[in-house]
Amino acid sequence: MKYYALAAAAAAVVVCAGCARQAPSGSGAGGQQGKVWNIGFSQSNLGEPWRVQMNADIKKAAEAHPELKVIFKDAQNDTATQQNQVKEFVQQGVDLIIISPKETVPLTQPVAEAMDKGIPVIVLDREVQGDKYTCFIGGDNKQIGEEAGKHVVKALGGEGQIVELKGLMTTTPGQDRHTGFVKGIQGSGIKTIFEADCRWLEPEAQKEMKSALARFDRIDAVYAHNDPSAHGAYMAAKQEGKGREKTIKFIGIDGLPNEGVKYVRDGILSATFVYPTCGPEAIDAALKILAGETVPKRIMLPTTVITKETLEAKN
Amino acid sequence: MTDSPVAPRRLNLRGLALTMGNLRGLLALAVVVALGIMFTPRNLATGHSIFLTWQTQSDILFEYSEYGLLACGMTLVILTGGIDLSVGSIVGFAATLFALLLIGHGWGVPAAAAACLAAGGLAGLLNGVLISRFRMQPFVATLAMMVAARGAAKVISGGIKVQPAARDWYALQQGSPPVFDWLTRSLPVIRVQPATLLFLLAIVTMTIVVRYTSFGRRLYAVGGSEEAARLSGIRVPQVKIWAYSLCAFFAALAGLINASRISIGDPEAGFTYELDAIAAVVIGGTTLNGGQGGMGLTFVGVLIIAYINKILSLNAVPEPWRLLAKGLIIVVAVLIQQRRKA
Repeated sequence: MKYYALAAAAAAVVVCAGCARQAPSGSGAGGQQGKVWNIGFSQSNLGEPWRVQMNADIKKAAEAHPELKVIFKDAQNDTATQQNQVKEFVQQGVDLIIISPKETVPLTQPVAEAMDKGIPVIVLDREVQGDKYTCFIGGDNKQIGEEAGKHVVKALGGEGQIVELKGLMTTTPGQDRHTGFVKGIQGSGIKTIFEADCRWLEPEAQKEMKSALARFDRIDAVYAHNDPSAHGAYMAAKQEGKGREKTIKFIGIDGLPNEGVKYVRDGILSATFVYPTCGPEAIDAALKILAGETVPKRIMLPTTVITKETLEAKN
Repeated sequence: MTDSPVAPRRLNLRGLALTMGNLRGLLALAVVVALGIMFTPRNLATGHSIFLTWQTQSDILFEYSEYGLLACGMTLVILTGGIDLSVGSIVGFAATLFALLLIGHGWGVPAAAAACLAAGGLAGLLNGVLISRFRMQPFVATLAMMVAARGAAKVISGGIKVQPAARDWYALQQGSPPVFDWLTRSLPVIRVQPATLLFLLAIVTMTIVVRYTSFGRRLYAVGGSEEAARLSGIRVPQVKIWAYSLCAFFAALAGLINASRISIGDPEAGFTYELDAIAAVVIGGTTLNGGQGGMGLTFVGVLIIAYINKILSLNAVPEPWRLLAKGLIIVVAVLIQQRRKA
């Protein structure tokens, strides 16, 4: 039986350790003095750097407002888990829910149920169906693609041969970043001579870029749907050993501080386009909603371009 | 139990171990529930515990109904001394096929469900034949099926998630099949989802089968000693083929629930579910060596894991801590098993 004591003790230690981080939620529950707003945030997964950045942005923005307490949950890329998390927030009686859904259809119902219980819901990045949510905040991938296209036209003087390394083309961001780009280069002398679906993965992009380098002597620019793919393409050109990594312009998307922005600073990418994490904007909207103000139903965030020049201008 | 093909003395020992195991399992479950009551946050407005509500309790069963079905089938296989790594992939395959038949081809629910369950059963049959007739190790044969079934799920779906309007030719372009909603919505009065009832029904049926039928006794006999079972006239291959077929059948049933729960046929569904199923069986107290354990133990094991997961989730414990906790719990459970054998 002594193992039972061990089992119980071990389980208790782990659970308590976890709870300790959440202690304020239990103790602050009854406190009415200086109203605390409890916000439940369900993130679809923390495997993608962009989503890790979103969590960090939300945390930072919320810390500036002591009256806000955010409960972070990570759905581990599992739709059913995320459905449960929304339900748990409702049961717990939080004042507002922020969700970055993994899937549109399956999360529509839980979000609608929260709204029915009178809990406002802010939806980030990926939408839910219908109009049973308080506010949607997202970036516009088509616009980002178009901006990237225009940037390439300008950078190459309106004429040149480019390679497009796409994200997973069964996803909307992949499709939108492509169609936007096509629109952006329309009417110019830019020709896409090679394109491949790299599924957002750097190793894939590196492989595809090697094929492109082997086939074409003249490549003026690479447009990659995310920064890691652009980085992979750069590495492929460098490994080729002909110094082409210095003549080809590499353009990426996402612009995370430790990824795209760093690559631009290091001279690897010539530009990256920020895909906004919506984190700070979500906290702004939450504050307004909790204060009883109305917010727009849809907030589309503009992208910003990051180049060596913009970085220098900032310093 | 007197007509068992195995020596009676052995059986008595087994009975004793089972009784003790049950008590230990229930005690562990009680500890977990107590922890749940102590550490679960209260409703922020009313201050009531949100753990001791019917909704939380039925949610726990509902959320674990898929793992529960997998663990139920896995117990049969593990009792024979085998293992089935393919159940997670079969969940994904069945979920994709179910959604594809309903949404893509506009089939009726009974036909689509029957086709999926049959396909699952066939995959299990193939596992069983490879293992018993072709003498492949269970780990290897079901590893191959794990990879192949995942591939099959992606082939039939064309690599995309099956949902209305995902392709132009799909029969259903709007809304979801009503059966998805029906399976996952609480029934009136009892306030339990049909999906949960399927899981409970499977556990009850298989408990009876394992305890009181000759098939159940043969499972133990084969797992205890294959040679002894063969010498006492048991057709070992047949027993194994049935065990693997039933295991995959329950996995396919879990697949139907998975598709209904997320109203999408996701070819990636069920990824690593087999590990949670095996963990539930082991935590319950059924040994991986075979011949020892039972369905009741597995039910307790599923409940223990389900409760622990719910408590961690309600407390918004970050994932790194959860993984640590789960690893620790599995080790402790195995320590308990070893103690029992000594």
